Amino acid sequence: MLNKNKLIITEGEITLKTLIVFAIMILVPFVSSAEMDRGKMLYDSWCAQCHGYEGDGKGYASGQYTLPQPRAFDSGTYKFRTTPSGERPTDEDIIRSTRKGNPGTTMPPWTRFTDDEVNEMVEYIKTFEEETFEYDAEPFQMGKAPAVSDALLTQGKEIFDKAKCWECHGKAGRGEGEKGWQDNFKNDWGTRAYPTDLTQAWEYRGGATVEDIFRTVTSGFDGTPMASFQSSYSDEERWSLSHFVTSLQTERKTGSALSVKKVDAVPASTDDAQWDAADYLDMPMSGQLMFEPRQFAPVITNVRMRSLYSDSEIGVMIEWTDKKPNKGDDGLPSDAVRLQFPVTVSDGPEKPYFFLGDKNHPVNLWFWKASDNTAVEQNAKGQKENDLVQQEKNDMLAAANYSDGHYRVLFRRPLDSGDENDITFTPGKFIPISVTAFDGAQNEQGLRATVSGWYYVMLEPPTPMKVFVMPPLVGLAFIGAGMGIRKKLKEGIG
Amino acid sequence: MLNIYPIIAGVGIVISIISAMKKAPFFNYLGILMAMYGLLKCVEFVAPPLPGQVILMYMAMFVFTFLIYFSIKEDQFQAFLRPMKTVLADDDKKILRVLIVYIMIPVLAGYITYGKVKPQLAPPTSARIVHPEPPASITFRGEKISLLGAESPVRNDTANRDKHFEAGKRIYYQNCFYCHGDDLAGNGYIADAFNPRPLPFRGTDTIAQLPEGFVFYRIAKGWTTLPAGSTPWDSSMPAFDTFLTVEEVWQVTFFIYEATGNKPR
Repeated sequence: MLNKNKLIITEGEITLKTLIVFAIMILVPFVSSAEMDRGKMLYDSWCAQCHGYEGDGKGYASGQYTLPQPRAFDSGTYKFRTTPSGERPTDEDIIRSTRKGNPGTTMPPWTRFTDDEVNEMVEYIKTFEEETFEYDAEPFQMGKAPAVSDALLTQGKEIFDKAKCWECHGKAGRGEGEKGWQDNFKNDWGTRAYPTDLTQAWEYRGGATVEDIFRTVTSGFDGTPMASFQSSYSDEERWSLSHFVTSLQTERKTGSALSVKKVDAVPASTDDAQWDAADYLDMPMSGQLMFEPRQFAPVITNVRMRSLYSDSEIGVMIEWTDKKPNKGDDGLPSDAVRLQFPVTVSDGPEKPYFFLGDKNHPVNLWFWKASDNTAVEQNAKGQKENDLVQQEKNDMLAAANYSDGHYRVLFRRPLDSGDENDITFTPGKFIPISVTAFDGAQNEQGLRATVSGWYYVMLEPPTPMKVFVMPPLVGLAFIGAGMGIRKKLKEGIG
Repeated sequence: MLNIYPIIAGVGIVISIISAMKKAPFFNYLGILMAMYGLLKCVEFVAPPLPGQVILMYMAMFVFTFLIYFSIKEDQFQAFLRPMKTVLADDDKKILRVLIVYIMIPVLAGYITYGKVKPQLAPPTSARIVHPEPPASITFRGEKISLLGAESPVRNDTANRDKHFEAGKRIYYQNCFYCHGDDLAGNGYIADAFNPRPLPFRGTDTIAQLPEGFVFYRIAKGWTTLPAGSTPWDSSMPAFDTFLTVEEVWQVTFFIYEATGNKPR
């Protein structure tokens, strides 16, 4: 009995063990494939639209619809890494790009997903090219950014020169370097690459803090002309270079209106110091997407406006980055910029349509072209070709300057030109203004353009006298009251 | 960003306690007012911040209530007035008097006056009707489409649900995502260029509140048929009947509902 029982128990143990082993053998791949399935499902739903269902970077939003192109995961080449050039990225690198996005591109920050979900997406992304991920990642040490100092910035500038950063990013850092202009300036996938404008911090692809820049110059952007400087410069040198790059960044000031200061005379030259001192308003630009031909992926992404006025004149200066100037003599359209105002400013909120007006609300256009370096006045009441008319009388004075990848175009005109088809400027009034910019290198002309929405310019009216008189009067009254009360109290005590 | 209001409230409470112990009602009063102001400002940690007008109203109330409280008992009121009387009348408090009565208070009063009389220039703003009344019917490339109780032929074609969803997805990411966003949350990469900003579709307060026919109408006609109350002059929403077919507009409408898990009303 006992023996038999024991035998049965032993058999039972064997059966149980076998069962457990089987269960593990079946369940393990099942669990991990369930995670993989969720990774694939999330990828197909929220990544494949750009990066492609096959991870080839050829999703619906690729080609003419985006700039730069979505990453092709099947190549195994990754731009944003904390590993040496040519190495696989760490999982955290892919997670960082997913969570923070890549500024200035169509890759947004994905914040809606849980950490587990993102991890599963990353695991799935790695399956598009498994060879790259066969080995463990060996990230470089970031260390800690040294405190910024003049000596460090000087050293950084020396390295910027010595490492030939300017060949692509340009001497002024606007991405205007001659190498970056060439037609063969391409990435590994054969699409055109554009060196980053280092003055526009808000669109550094890999982020714009000094740590981000250190990471970028150390790792390089694999697959693009952006090289790694890990072996050619020491950590200390790369930190100083990174600090120097942050010193090129300018502040982006967005808002709805620009307040225009009064001066004795509007400076006629674009490089007058008064312009540098004048306040500015940044206008984020979009491609024109309402009418064919649409511009999906513009290169001009920001336009900066300054303005000054005098008793008789207004000056509006528009600045923007254009890495390669086009004067219309290279088979491409000329670079150009156009300001737009309503012909009449209504007292209510009503305005003409923000792009070329509409049939009941004409707009006044100030149009400057690089090809002849003059500005003309136009009127438009719609987007069709014959909705646009040239004015016969031209009150416009323009001055323009292109240097180091930077356009400055200055329009000057009397406050009141006496022409009923022109905008009239009255101090204290908010006057709608919008900007259209044309980059010849992007084949922009006519309706293919980059556009801004409506903004306002407001000519600061002279300060009313009461502002100077009332506050001191009230102050004096309080002093008098204090003295009065003191006198009463003294009398009371006395 | 460092928020100083909890510190103001804390310092106010400390001043108030110390002066209550030292029987100095005037400083107690100042401490209470300071603490109240700090606390009202601290509301923003737990709820939307109180508007300036509301804070002003509460503060006026506190100023008067506590003034009444401190002036009810005669001896307490005399103690309350003593610091003011001392500063104004005592001959040995000359420096303090000059500083407070003849400099600080007049400068503060002048500064407040300056804030009141300086011209306030603000750009015109207007209320905007986000979802205007749609017309009864629209003309779509010459074809008349009735919008009253319009049903989506795409939603009703359940046999081809996946095909329509995928077509809608392609249309969305080639026409809409620049503004309305990869994740349909209204923050596409050029959304900053426009005012009003593009609407999000995620969440329960936009398309979830609208019948599908209305969404079809807004996509098909864009800015072109908006009434003045909806500021068509600022709208960058294209009239997609120039770029897409009727079926494509229904497909992309279907996609933005399905992708956000929303149902038409």
